[in-house]
Amino acid sequence: MKIKMKLNKYFLLVAFSLVAVFTVSAQDDVDPRRKQAIDSLALEKVKDLSKYISIIGDKKTQFSEAQRVMDRAEELFADDSEMGVSSLSREEITYYKVREYFERLMALNYDKVTIKWYDIHYISDLEKQPDGTYVGVITIYQRFEGTSDDGLSYKDTTKKDITIYVKKKETQIAGRTIEFWDVLLGDVRVTETSA
Amino acid sequence: MRILAILSLTILCFHTSVGQGLTDEMKDTEEKLYASTKQINQFLRRFNGEEDEEGNRYYSGDKKYRDDGLRKKYLPVLFDKETGYISETVAKDFIKEVTDKRNPEFLDLHDKEMFAEVSAIFTYKGKETSALLYMKMQQQGLGYEWVIDDVAFDPFKKLYKKDTSEAKRFMHPMSHELGFMTLRKALQNEKYPEQFTPREYQPDYLTLFLFELKAGNLKFKTVKNVKFHFFTIDNWYFELSNFNRPGYNTGWLISNLTKLEGNQKQMMKDYIYDKN
Repeated sequence: MKIKMKLNKYFLLVAFSLVAVFTVSAQDDVDPRRKQAIDSLALEKVKDLSKYISIIGDKKTQFSEAQRVMDRAEELFADDSEMGVSSLSREEITYYKVREYFERLMALNYDKVTIKWYDIHYISDLEKQPDGTYVGVITIYQRFEGTSDDGLSYKDTTKKDITIYVKKKETQIAGRTIEFWDVLLGDVRVTETSA
Repeated sequence: MRILAILSLTILCFHTSVGQGLTDEMKDTEEKLYASTKQINQFLRRFNGEEDEEGNRYYSGDKKYRDDGLRKKYLPVLFDKETGYISETVAKDFIKEVTDKRNPEFLDLHDKEMFAEVSAIFTYKGKETSALLYMKMQQQGLGYEWVIDDVAFDPFKKLYKKDTSEAKRFMHPMSHELGFMTLRKALQNEKYPEQFTPREYQPDYLTLFLFELKAGNLKFKTVKNVKFHFFTIDNWYFELSNFNRPGYNTGWLISNLTKLEGNQKQMMKDYIYDKN
């Protein structure tokens, strides 16, 4: 049921992006109104990622459900995407494949894990890369709290700078080729903040 | 300070409606995160007066786009105020100059006078060593890309110690008559063969760096720190660094500011590129 609702939501978003297509493709740069439409689409994917991370991290989530959610979360990303993680005590970045990052999150040794998200997102401009794909970065902030049964707890706030790729794609609808803009997530830089 | 308070108050007013479900501690943190300059993109937009207090973009044609009042409000909060490296008078002069109504100055990510300095860790011949990579943006294909413009790497620098004194070793000026048999003495078992090169010879560390990467002697490990250098505004240099610390004066902020005169621009660039 959940998956069906999600598919419906994506269908609506794709339809929404279809409307955005025609003006965008007519010119080289993304015009402000279309940029807002693309931002909404990208933000929707980032929100899905946030939700999936909360579920994967939650100790109440069954193993099989967590695996399914990891699959869904991985689908949001472009191939070879990585998470680059650093902390206040370790400024060097450690690099993980997206799946590996999720698996490590699931395996954290706490009895209770709460992941909340600040109501902050910052969306950069879109820059065109050499192959014509647009690239941007969305910044969000996560609050993590892990507690063990023996009363030990750990809290941190992490900044997540998430790459978004915006690419023009084509699909066939009723024999007609329709162009639309698709958003995929890419590398994510995870930094612990002192805030 | 008053501007910081006004900006914080404005942010507070804006966001009383959001953050529901968050603890008081988180709400407090959230206000600070809103004030933080979260991306280089946000630094550029705030510098140029191209976004509102919530981070929503103003576009060319919007009433507030690059508004003088907005810029005067934002610019003072774009400086690092905690380490004390920037004189308040110099900062005021800078703000006055970039917001001058007759000739306002704006920043652009693609400006050739802006570059990044990346401090990275490599293993060189099995030993962990840091290097500075100087990155610049270049136009390529349908868009842009970041490329490595130069590198500063201590093992290379130590390798080249060119003696330019009158006492330096040389190949005598009649070597040609001997079929340059003097080369054997010059190059065999010689630690610094660069003394037999022209006066103007400068080693190209980037080529060496690429060679060592290709040869497998140098392996990338991780990035430690990033900062940006701006020479985009005439007669000024400023450095942009990321400050990850408690409070409102955080994120990407101007960490160094200098008025440049005469040939100081080139001197400063040489200094940054470790060419002195």
